Amino acid sequence: MPVRMVESPAPSNSSGANSGQTCLQPCSLLSVGQAFSGTQNVSSPQKDEAWRVNVRIQGCDLDHGYLCGTMEALNVPMADTPVVTFWEGEIVDTKNYTFFTNKWKATSEVDIEHWTKFPSFSPLLTQVEVDGGKSLDLTNYQYIFMRWKEQYFVNVGADCGLTIAGFYYVCFSCVDGSINGYYYDPNSSPFQKLELKTTNERRSGFSFSSYELQ
Amino acid sequence: MPGSASTTHRPEGLIDRLRSAAADGGEAKFKVLRELKNQIIGNRTKKLSYIKLGAVPSVVSILSSASSSVDCLLIQCAATIGSFACGVDAGVKAVLDAGAFPHLINLLSHSNEKVVDAGARALKMIYQSPSAPKYDFTQPKNIEFLTSLLDKTNENVTGLGATIITHSCQTPTEQTLLSNAGVLKKLIHLLHATSPQRDASLESFATIIKQNPHVITNHVGPQNGSTFRTLLDLTKDRYPRTRLLACVCLTLIKNATSSAYVESVGMRTKLILVLLELVEDGGQVGDEALFTLSRFIEDDEGLQKLAFEANTVDKLCQQMVKESLQGKRLEGLFTALGSICSNLESCRSIVLQSPKALTVITEGLTHTTTEVRIAACICLKNVSRSVKYLSAGHFMTEAVIMPVIQLLYDASTSVQVAALCTVSNLVVDFRTHKSLFVQSGGVKQLVELSKSMESSVRLNAVWALRNLMFLIDNRCKEEIFMDIKLFPLTRLISDSNACVQEQALGLVCNLVNGPGPMDSMMYLFTEDGILLNTVGRELRKASRTQVLVQAMYVMCNVASGKELEKEAVMRQLVNEEDAQSIIVSLLQSEVASLRTAVVWTVVNLTVPTGAGALARVVKLRNAGVVSQLKNMVNDPCLDVKLRVRTALGQTMTFGDFST
Repeated sequence: MPVRMVESPAPSNSSGANSGQTCLQPCSLLSVGQAFSGTQNVSSPQKDEAWRVNVRIQGCDLDHGYLCGTMEALNVPMADTPVVTFWEGEIVDTKNYTFFTNKWKATSEVDIEHWTKFPSFSPLLTQVEVDGGKSLDLTNYQYIFMRWKEQYFVNVGADCGLTIAGFYYVCFSCVDGSINGYYYDPNSSPFQKLELKTTNERRSGFSFSSYELQ
Repeated sequence: MPGSASTTHRPEGLIDRLRSAAADGGEAKFKVLRELKNQIIGNRTKKLSYIKLGAVPSVVSILSSASSSVDCLLIQCAATIGSFACGVDAGVKAVLDAGAFPHLINLLSHSNEKVVDAGARALKMIYQSPSAPKYDFTQPKNIEFLTSLLDKTNENVTGLGATIITHSCQTPTEQTLLSNAGVLKKLIHLLHATSPQRDASLESFATIIKQNPHVITNHVGPQNGSTFRTLLDLTKDRYPRTRLLACVCLTLIKNATSSAYVESVGMRTKLILVLLELVEDGGQVGDEALFTLSRFIEDDEGLQKLAFEANTVDKLCQQMVKESLQGKRLEGLFTALGSICSNLESCRSIVLQSPKALTVITEGLTHTTTEVRIAACICLKNVSRSVKYLSAGHFMTEAVIMPVIQLLYDASTSVQVAALCTVSNLVVDFRTHKSLFVQSGGVKQLVELSKSMESSVRLNAVWALRNLMFLIDNRCKEEIFMDIKLFPLTRLISDSNACVQEQALGLVCNLVNGPGPMDSMMYLFTEDGILLNTVGRELRKASRTQVLVQAMYVMCNVASGKELEKEAVMRQLVNEEDAQSIIVSLLQSEVASLRTAVVWTVVNLTVPTGAGALARVVKLRNAGVVSQLKNMVNDPCLDVKLRVRTALGQTMTFGDFST
C-alpha cells in the first residue's frame, strides 16, 4: 500500500536549545566530484547572450559551511579557450553563515533583493528580514542557499579581460540537484542568471567518486 | 727548561693516591677526594677518563668504610659520586655498579644536615639519568619513604623525591598510587617553595597527571581552584623554565578534561601568549615551548582560532626562516605549525603566502634527523589540507613532490607512514592527468608499499592510491591499474584490516567513476569478474559500515553503466536463494550514509530507459526491495528520503504490478 510522503516545504524556527547551531545534512548530489552543466545569461540591453557553464565540486566541508570547486565558461567571446575559475562557497547554514553577506559590496537590501528571486526563499523571507535567518533551522530544508565567490583564474591570466569581482547568490535543490544562481557585481549587468543541472556525464545513472584528506 | 710533570697531577697518579688512601685512609682520603672532585666537576672528558681508570669503586669504597662521624669525608664522597653521575650515563652506571646506592640512601638519615644534603644531591643526579633503577611505588614502605622526602625542608631532599617520581612514574597505576598517597598535595605545597623546588615539583606533578583524567578529576578538580591559581601565577614567574613547566601542567589538565573546565579560569589565550613568548628563548625552553604549544592547541579548533588571533602563525613562520636552526627547534616549529594548520584555512593561507615557509618545510623533508623528517611531513600534510591551494597545483612542483617521493623509500617505517599520509593529500590536485607524480615513480612505490606487511604502511599506501585515482582520465587510470594489477587489488579488498578494505574499495569506486562510456569498467569484468565478485562477497560478510558504504558505491557506479553492467550488479545483489536480499538488509541499516548508497544503487538499477529495466524492477520487487523503499518514504535522512522518492517513482513508471 502506498504511503503518503511527508512534505517539509518550510523550515522551522529552531528551538532555543539548538538555536541555529546545527550543520546541514549532507546531500549526495552536492558532494565532491559531482558535475553540473548549464548556462549563465550575460545579456545586456544591447545583446542577448548566454555562456555555457560547467561546474565541478572539489571540496565540501559542512562543519565549516564550506564548498568549493571550479567553474568553466565555454563560449566566452573574448577568450580563445574555455575559461576556468576556482570558486569558494559559503553555505547558509545559520551556524557559519547567514543570509546576510556583510561584505563584497552587498548590503542586506541587495541580499534580500537577490534571495527573493528564488521561489524557495519566500517562506524564509520574514525571518531573514529580522535576523538574517540566524534563528532558522534549515537542516531539513530541501534547498541549500549559498554564496559562491570566484577566487582565481585557473587556466588564464588575471589580465584576460574578464572579471571575477562579483559573486553568486546560489540556490541548490536537494531534490534534483539543480542549481540556480544570480551574479552580483555592482559594476556588471544585474541579475545575470546561472542555471545548472546535475549531469551524469553520459552514464545511465548516477556515479560517485571521493577522496579523503588526511 | 721545562721539567717533567709530576705524576700526581696525571689521572694515573691521582688514581694511585686514591687507591692507597682508600686502603689506609687518614687525612689523605679527604685531600685526594677533594682534588678528584675539583678535576671532574663540569668536565665530561675527565669524568670519562677517571671512570675508565676505575676511580668510582675506590670512592665508593671510601664512603662505605668511612665512619659516620667523619662528616666532611662523607660529604666529599657523596659530592664526588654525584659529580660522576651528573650528566654522564657511564658515570651513573659506574656509581651503581660500585654499589654506591645504599650508602647514599643511608646518608639521608644522618644527623648532619650537610651530609644529608650531599647524599640527596648525589642521588638526585643518579635519578636524573634514564639509566637509574626504577623506583618501586607498589611497596608501601617505598611510598612512605618518598613522602617523607617530600615533607623535608631541605630543597635537595624534596628535589630528590620529585626527581624519583619524574624518573620512575610511568603507568596509570603508579600515577594513581602516588596521587592516592597524597603526593600531589605535597607537590602542590612545594610549588610555593624555592625556585629549584618549584621546577622539580612541577615536573613531577606533570608526570603524575599526564594523560590521566581520573587522577586529574579526583585530585586536581575544580574543588582545587587554588592549584589552578598557583599554576597560573607560575606562568608569570621570573624564570622561563618555571613558566614553561606551569604551562605544561595546565596543558595536561586541559587535554585530559573538558576545555570548558579549564576555560573557567580564563587561561586559554593567556597560555598561548606565554608559550609564544617562551618560544623566543633560543634554548631548550624555547624548543619545549613549541611542543607544549602544539599539544595545547591540537584537536581543538577553538584554541587554534585563538592561537591564530594571537598571530601565532606569523611568529612561527618568522622563527622558521631564521638561519641555522637546530634539529629540535625545526621539529618543534613544524609540529606547532602542523597543529595550528590542521583545521583552519586562514592559518594555511598565511603559511603558503609566506615567501619562504614552504621552502623550509620541504627542506625539512631531507633533514638528517628522523624526527625532523616526520614533523616536516606532518606539517606539510596539514598545510596541504587546503583544497584551494591543491586545486591551484600549489604543491605539484618538483621542489615538493620529489623529496616526498624520496621519503617513501626511507629506512624508517614511521617516516614512510608520515610521507604516505602527506602524499595522500598532495595527489588530490584535481587535474585529470597527474603527470608529475606518476612520471616521478611515485605510483610504483605506492603500489610496492601497498603490499607491506605493516598494516599502517599498507593502509596509507592504498589511501594515497585511492586519492590519486580521484577524477583522473582513463589513460592515467590505466597506467595506475597496470601497476597495481588485478589480483593484488582483490587481495586489498579482502584485507584483514577493515580500514585497508575501505580505502581499497574507495579506489575501485574512483576507478569505475567518470564520464561514460567508461573503459575502466572493464577491469571489473576481467578474469571472470573477480574484482566485482570480491566486492560482492565483502558486501555480504563485512561488518564495518564504511566498508559496506564503499562497496555499495562500487555497485552504484557499476550500475550507472550500460545493461551489461546493471545486470552484473543485479547478480551480485539479488539472489533468489537468499532468505533476504542484501539490498533489503542494508536498506534497514541505522547508518544514513549506507542507506543513501544503497538507494542510489537501486535508482541506477531502475532507470526506466534500459531494455532490461522492467525485468530488474520485477526482480527487485520480488526480493522485497520496493516494499522496503515504501517503508522509507519518511526516512529521517533527507537525502535518503529524496532518493527513495526517485527510486519509487522509477519503479512506478512500469505500472503497479505488485499483485
